[in-house]
Amino acid sequence: MAILETRALSKQFGGLRAVDRVDLVLEPGQILGVIGPNGAGKTTLFSLIAGSQAPSSGEVLLDGRRVDGKPAYKLVRAGVVRTHQIVRPFPNLSVAENVAVGAMHAAGRAHGPVRDRAVEVLEFVGLAERARAMPGTLTLAGRKRLELARALATAPRVLLLDEVIAGLNPSEAQALAALIRRIRDERGVSIIMIEHVMPAVMSLSDRVLVLDQGRMIAEGSPEEVVRNQAVVDAYLGESHRKASA
Amino acid sequence: MSRGFRPPAPPRLLLGYGIVVAGLAALPWFTELTVYSHNLMTLAFLSIAGALAWNWMGGFLGQVSFGHAAMFGVGGFVAARILLAGPVPAPLAWLAGGLAAGVFALGAHPTLRLRGPYFSIATIGMGEATRLLFTYWEDFTGGSSGLSLPIQTDMKHHLYWWGLGLVALVAAASWLIRHSALGLQLLAIKADVDAAADLGVSATFYQDLVFALSGAVVGVTGGMWASYFSFIEPNDMFGFDRSIAFVLMAVIGGVGTVLGPLLGAVVFVLLRQYLLASYPQLYLGLYGLLLIFIILFEPLGLTGLWLRLWRRLPWARAEA
Repeated sequence: MAILETRALSKQFGGLRAVDRVDLVLEPGQILGVIGPNGAGKTTLFSLIAGSQAPSSGEVLLDGRRVDGKPAYKLVRAGVVRTHQIVRPFPNLSVAENVAVGAMHAAGRAHGPVRDRAVEVLEFVGLAERARAMPGTLTLAGRKRLELARALATAPRVLLLDEVIAGLNPSEAQALAALIRRIRDERGVSIIMIEHVMPAVMSLSDRVLVLDQGRMIAEGSPEEVVRNQAVVDAYLGESHRKASA
Repeated sequence: MSRGFRPPAPPRLLLGYGIVVAGLAALPWFTELTVYSHNLMTLAFLSIAGALAWNWMGGFLGQVSFGHAAMFGVGGFVAARILLAGPVPAPLAWLAGGLAAGVFALGAHPTLRLRGPYFSIATIGMGEATRLLFTYWEDFTGGSSGLSLPIQTDMKHHLYWWGLGLVALVAAASWLIRHSALGLQLLAIKADVDAAADLGVSATFYQDLVFALSGAVVGVTGGMWASYFSFIEPNDMFGFDRSIAFVLMAVIGGVGTVLGPLLGAVVFVLLRQYLLASYPQLYLGLYGLLLIFIILFEPLGLTGLWLRLWRRLPWARAEA
């Protein structure tokens, strides 16, 4: 059974359908890439799944049970956590304390003191050396790792990553892509990732979903999706198809 | 293992805490305190406890309340009514007043959806509404003529130690909250309420909890205040300047710091005595000026000033 599923999930803002009847399926242990042009509704889709916003209609199912309309903090406890495209560390807390806030809400899924779990996650993402630093002193790559660490500390079953790779230089991007793969392989977390960096999407994703103007225009393996004419027209452009052919 | 986390209470801090509390408790026996200074210190203790508790809300959680006089008054009048009803030990009446005030604070639940200035404005409205309600509820508060409590001999004298005990308790609680899981979550809510929710923090639960705790402590001080003066009156107990006093004490000392509001309350009480005696017409205006200067030049108040001086000392620089 799918670990997470949406059925005809929609969000209406006045006359605009930001998310329009999206049917998404995430199998356990999968990485699902979400691509699409700016304004396609990718981040709104995340907000609906993570409970930051209530959907206008449609359903979100976790393990087959409906969770749509629940507030974000309850979804975290149920095992669904998101990161933000524009990282939002708590500037008044140290790096370790930032992670500890997440570690307090792992519900029954993790054992041991909050502090030990925070330290373990910091080591996993490679921030152990900066545990005492304040978030403002980290580089952008460091803050993105912190954003990941906070989310991981909640011991998620489903992790929603909103452009964690975008904005990084190539070597940082590769390191972060490797980290995302390890999150799936070593921690068994199922992942949905919004990303514009196509090499990362192609190499990491098991399946890719393409959104345009709120609607799913394609879904399939990365290779299928990049050859899809609708996707080329809406998002990738002709040059991309020639390059990948 | 404590790398990056706030450390547990170091022995030196505990020792200092013990010495200060014991020293203040023993002070009236060692020196001949005049009645005036004995009483002034008692009132200072009540102010300190209230300022520290206000800071849980305004400092740690970042929700600046301009309505804490409501809980002060509710605590005071509930305690007074209990003391008038029969021979109840005063501390029990204060405690009941505190509980009532804590429950009353939960009534502000709808305002907690607001943040920042919007929340502050709502608390002004709540505070003033409470004041009017209790002024017109003459059966309970005696209206504008107030309530006179049964005179208990030595109560005023003994309140020194009750007040000190309360301060000791609330100061310890402030430190513990700041260094606990609860404190981390409050600071997270203060920094970014949505990001905190995205990590599993239920902002409404913690806001209600802290508002109730803070209100309960302020309610207890209201009860003690009633016992101290043996007479209370709604327009004074629920007065808006009382609500502002909580804000002022915390701002002078350092909003959000653990012990800043304690310093702020001491300065506030001393300054008020002096200003009221010397410049009764000017005193509110002078407070306004003080507030502007602090917020412009040292937003962390006395605590910020102290940190700034500390960093200039040669040994502090060597350590860093």
